Amino acid sequence: MTEPEKEDMPPILGSWKRLYALVLGELLLCILLFRLFSWAFS
Amino acid sequence: MSRLDWLVLGGALLFVVLWGLWKGRGATTGEGYIGGGRDHRWWLIGLSIIATQTSAITFLSTPGQAYVDGMRFVQFYFGLPIAAVVLSVTLIPLYHRLKVSTAYELLEARFDLKTRLLAAILFLIQRGLAVGLTIFAPALVLSVLLGWSLHVNILIVGTLVMIYTVTGGTKAVAWAHSSQMVIIACGMLLAGVMTAYRLPADVSFGDALHVAGGLGRLNVIDTHFDPNSRYNLWSGLIGGFFLMLSYFGTDQSQVQRYLAGSDLTQSRLGLLMNAMIKVPMQFLILLLGALVFVFYQFHAPPLFFNPGPVKQVLAGPDAATYRALETKFAQARTAQSQKAEAYVSARHSGDAASIAAAKHQLSQSHAESEAIRREGVALIEKANPGTNPSDTNYIFLAYVLSSLPVGLVGLVIAAVFSGSMSSMSGEISALGATTVVDLWRRLVGGSQGQREVWVGRIATFAWGCFAMAFAEYAARLGSLIEAVNILGSLFYGTILGIFITAFYVKRVRGGTAFYAALVAEVGVLACFKFTAISFLWYNLIGCVAVVALAWTFSFFQPPQALPEGGSAA
Repeated sequence: MTEPEKEDMPPILGSWKRLYALVLGELLLCILLFRLFSWAFS
Repeated sequence: MSRLDWLVLGGALLFVVLWGLWKGRGATTGEGYIGGGRDHRWWLIGLSIIATQTSAITFLSTPGQAYVDGMRFVQFYFGLPIAAVVLSVTLIPLYHRLKVSTAYELLEARFDLKTRLLAAILFLIQRGLAVGLTIFAPALVLSVLLGWSLHVNILIVGTLVMIYTVTGGTKAVAWAHSSQMVIIACGMLLAGVMTAYRLPADVSFGDALHVAGGLGRLNVIDTHFDPNSRYNLWSGLIGGFFLMLSYFGTDQSQVQRYLAGSDLTQSRLGLLMNAMIKVPMQFLILLLGALVFVFYQFHAPPLFFNPGPVKQVLAGPDAATYRALETKFAQARTAQSQKAEAYVSARHSGDAASIAAAKHQLSQSHAESEAIRREGVALIEKANPGTNPSDTNYIFLAYVLSSLPVGLVGLVIAAVFSGSMSSMSGEISALGATTVVDLWRRLVGGSQGQREVWVGRIATFAWGCFAMAFAEYAARLGSLIEAVNILGSLFYGTILGIFITAFYVKRVRGGTAFYAALVAEVGVLACFKFTAISFLWYNLIGCVAVVALAWTFSFFQPPQALPEGGSAA
């Protein structure tokens, strides 16, 4: 094992936790919008 | 195809090859050739990941899927963002910390050489066979619809890919991927805009969506839990998560893409970019298919989009029956077009009762047409026993060839070629890397200098030739092709199980994981041979079996040898 790599910060949002929340939030938003889309045009 | 189409197609493919060659020049060490110099930025990694994943057949069949079955296929990708976050937290930092070139190197650091070799060989078998189909399937569609020679098609795609992949390695593949994604995006975007534009003048985009929705083609989300249904919210979130975790975390064709990042941040961002783009991108491609479906509500479609099996019927004793069905289908579709126009007019009137009545009549008319189509498919099955009676993969390209303007046809076919080339290049590059790093470098003990660049080129070239040879042979496999498609699921679960054991089950040591994986793999193969379990479940079965067996076997492990003077504490 080599020495641990320096934990870099993401270029946006200030922390990886917030970036992961953005990715998962986008998935949730997509699911909600798709559900609305199906409902609106069915 | 017109001269302009040929010009667009030839120009696009030439640009991809020259761009890949130019940007991939200068690899002087094995690490530079296989690792791409480890200087890639997040956006290049993200594009390369998407391009490797998007094969031509995915790109051809997705709009067809929406045409036949609606848009629920998008749920298949819902597990991807969750898997990308889990991998960013767990495996990617570990890969970077250990400075590995392939995913399987990690297994030797955690377990032992034989476990690493087992995972590497399982990957070489499944990916080596799958890469042949990656170029065979779109070549078959193009050869049937355009009358091109299947062999020439395979030869052209294979040769173009090998020119830049063998020469420039991972860096050439990544940069060629970026140009291929631009071609694919432009082709699909323009095809979508043109499809909306070619709808009748009084049919707005909103009307088109209401027609598609009224006929069940905008069924994006299905919240009912049904283990027999392949695409619903839960199978996408749970089954898709395991599949994506395995594909992006342990398949070298993907791992190699993000390990080329200049640091951990770039690798993570590249994978997360893919996670954020993939779901909306698949939605838009499916929406294009739904628009093609609406287009054919106002224009006459063929009874069956794949002309190959139709020729077989027309050459046999059922030719007259099939011709009669074609006439009946054309009449039914004319009536259906009138009902679709009536539905749009009713919507414009705003009268709720008229809208409901017109929608009901359109649905009935559509059901009648579909019943005739099913009779046609039954005749096709009778004339072509043992063949797949689906024409899903042919719908989009048949539409492009018959309905899109000159120039755009060439661009869409360039996009199909780009999809085929992007997957093949990513895959043979990964196969070459695994062969060099996990077999040649580890077993023969080769150096990482200029000599390894040449060994890498020879390995990549050999895998490219194997892919082309297998693509040629695939034409003779017939229904066995489905078995080859299932191959990935036969091994993915076991490989993922080894990695999960490595990461989470600390008490398990080398030999234990190896034997657990062997037993689990035999179990998965037994499921394939002796049960009717759907192949998507093999991923979960294989993974859980490896972890459970390794944990159980670990209680019978010999005590760990302690270093001299060490203590058990």
